[in-house]
Amino acid sequence: MAGGRSVLGVVVAAALLTVGCNPAAQDEPGAASASSSGFSTQLSGTLRTGGFNPSDEVARSRSDLATRAVSPVKVSMDTTEFDAQKFAAQAASGQVPDLLSVDRTVVGTLADKGLIRPLEQCFSLHGVRPAQQYYPAAIKDVTYDRHIYGVPQSFQTSMLIGNKRVMAKAGVTAAQLDTSRPDALVGIARKMYHASNGRPDVLGLDLDLPGSSAMWLKVFGGAPMDDEGRPTLDDSKNVQALTWMKKVMDAQGGYASIKSFKDSMDVFGDQNQYVTDEVGAQTWGQWYANVLSNTQDKVSPVGVPVKSVSGQSIGFAGGTALVVPKGSRNPSAACSWAIKATSVDAWVAAGRARAQKVKAEGAINTGLFTASPPADRAVRRQFVKSSGNADFDQLVNASYTTLENPVSFGGSAAGKAISDALSNAVSVSLAGEKTPAQALKDAQADATRAWQQTAVGKHA
Amino acid sequence: MPEPGRKVRPRRRPSRLRRSEARAGYLFIAPWCIGLLIFTVISMSWSLVLSFQHYDVASGTGTPAGLDNYRLLASDPTVGKSLGNTLFYAVLAVPLDILLALLLACLLNGIGRGSGLFRTLFYLPKMTPTVATASVFLLLLNGNSGAINTVLRLFGINGPQWLADPNWMKPSIVVMTLWSVGGSTIILLAALQNVPREYYEAAATDGASPAQQFLRITVPLVSPTLFFLTIVNTIAALQVFDQSYLLFYRDGNASVPDAARFYGVYLYQQAFEQFNFGRAAAMAWLLFVIILVITAIQMRVSRRMVFYEGGDR
Repeated sequence: MAGGRSVLGVVVAAALLTVGCNPAAQDEPGAASASSSGFSTQLSGTLRTGGFNPSDEVARSRSDLATRAVSPVKVSMDTTEFDAQKFAAQAASGQVPDLLSVDRTVVGTLADKGLIRPLEQCFSLHGVRPAQQYYPAAIKDVTYDRHIYGVPQSFQTSMLIGNKRVMAKAGVTAAQLDTSRPDALVGIARKMYHASNGRPDVLGLDLDLPGSSAMWLKVFGGAPMDDEGRPTLDDSKNVQALTWMKKVMDAQGGYASIKSFKDSMDVFGDQNQYVTDEVGAQTWGQWYANVLSNTQDKVSPVGVPVKSVSGQSIGFAGGTALVVPKGSRNPSAACSWAIKATSVDAWVAAGRARAQKVKAEGAINTGLFTASPPADRAVRRQFVKSSGNADFDQLVNASYTTLENPVSFGGSAAGKAISDALSNAVSVSLAGEKTPAQALKDAQADATRAWQQTAVGKHA
Repeated sequence: MPEPGRKVRPRRRPSRLRRSEARAGYLFIAPWCIGLLIFTVISMSWSLVLSFQHYDVASGTGTPAGLDNYRLLASDPTVGKSLGNTLFYAVLAVPLDILLALLLACLLNGIGRGSGLFRTLFYLPKMTPTVATASVFLLLLNGNSGAINTVLRLFGINGPQWLADPNWMKPSIVVMTLWSVGGSTIILLAALQNVPREYYEAAATDGASPAQQFLRITVPLVSPTLFFLTIVNTIAALQVFDQSYLLFYRDGNASVPDAARFYGVYLYQQAFEQFNFGRAAAMAWLLFVIILVITAIQMRVSRRMVFYEGGDR
């Protein structure tokens, strides 16, 4: 029972940090002169980054290229993941990093609280046109009150990855994993599902709930929020979507049992669920193809892009973005580094490093999925070649197909609250505590309350 | 001015030794006093100020908010839900913890040889970091393949989906809490060992059964310890955070029904996900008042139920 005091402790500690002093952001001595909201190409001083971890060859090569490009700036990295609690304490004491890598769902909240800077001037200084350089869906994620606050990095679209062995056993074809015919998919899920003693041993169709619930709303033509970032969770199309999600889960023994079954899977290991035939089809971000390639001789995957009920392919994705905190002491270096690290050159360097690693290990190059269409095209053209494994070649090609119509969660000052409210609605509805309509109605009330407390919400 | 006729004792200057001892005493307690001042008095006072402000974390400034933050708490149903969850947990966890600790302490008290080993074994979980305990319990509590349900199945019981069924989320946290019952056990064992043997011998001579001895001798004589544990465990239960956060919110994705959202978790979300520090501070003070009231009630009730040797009862 110990340790419960930690929350009170951190709140008062954060408060305490504000007792002392909160020096107005002072530019790094020697850093190029830049107005509080401005950026410059004259670079010097030190750049302190947070949340960016160059632990693999992709991140390392991008980081190296960007660091060379901002020379003579000295780059110092805090490689731990973005931690809002830590950031709040840093902001209160005026000691924020100059550049942060964060999940795009929190960009709207950070912008609403005035914690990060708009980046139009940064883009313009480096001749970058965001609408051309990045997927519009990724830009939408980092747009708040009509200003762009983040430089999008990755764009990992989701799709269904089928297990051909389980599918064949159940007499299901890849063409039948058609999300534009959701009612038929309930029967397909039931067909592939198998249980022993009331416990599942083969999961037919995993919708990745509640993680991917926003994508399924989009499949049904719904959305968690409108273009202004205002929650729209109780929209009738969303209710249809959640009702269908529940049907799929109930056809396979119910959400609770499925969740426990999934929790026991060796998702990243040699005995993953595709090796052990514990799954018929699952919803995954493109990155999972790379995980599966580690067991390429033991798995037989097939990639199926997700389609909306109107038959259009949907490439739903989240990802991270680089943001410049308002208290950054070296915003010019931060801006330059972020632009260089997400440039086509950086991604090509990353693609080359990945290709070399894959070749050395005899693995399969499943591609890099960035937030930049020209970078995606360049990397695919130069480095993603046929692997000789027909299943994986199909999987990689299907992944690239999803980029034809990229969509995302959207940006909002209450983005995290909307996401949490949706997840909660999905969980309570699947658990049978509330009907889908009631769950979404309550979620809408929660999200609206959070939205109304934001600066932009109060204004609206 | 001294009254006429009253004898005035001349004030004697403290000796050099006494002054030196006093100085040393103050020096010894200074670190604690400074810690208390900085980490408790000043920070709590500041959080009280913060609760009446709209605090802007970007500029480090606050604007007066009056009672707005407290009004928002009243109009937010999640505050009520999370408080309800927390009280439910406290009502379940505190008595179970104390009963189990008393049972284990009685068993340990009866062991002669090897009691030290068992004391250490029972206390070990208390020393295990909660993160490590949560990792183990994620496996133990799996509804399909977890060890707890596997054991239940041996007795023909189909165990619940502890971590996925909203009805079982709070009990699963209680189960994890009971894992570290060793702390209470050791305290109760110390109390049990202070009960004079002669009382039991006299009671046995008078024909009292073991159950009567337990109820008439043991319980009254360890009641101050039971009361102490009730107070501290209740306070800790009302502040529960880490168990719930680690079992259900560990990946930062709040894909969890409200059933697992405790007051401490919601407070954390308000402060560090929404950056609503004023509101979070108001929540902290509301919890402080609730704990104060519950503790006051417990103190009042204790007057009739706790036996102090040498006291009125």
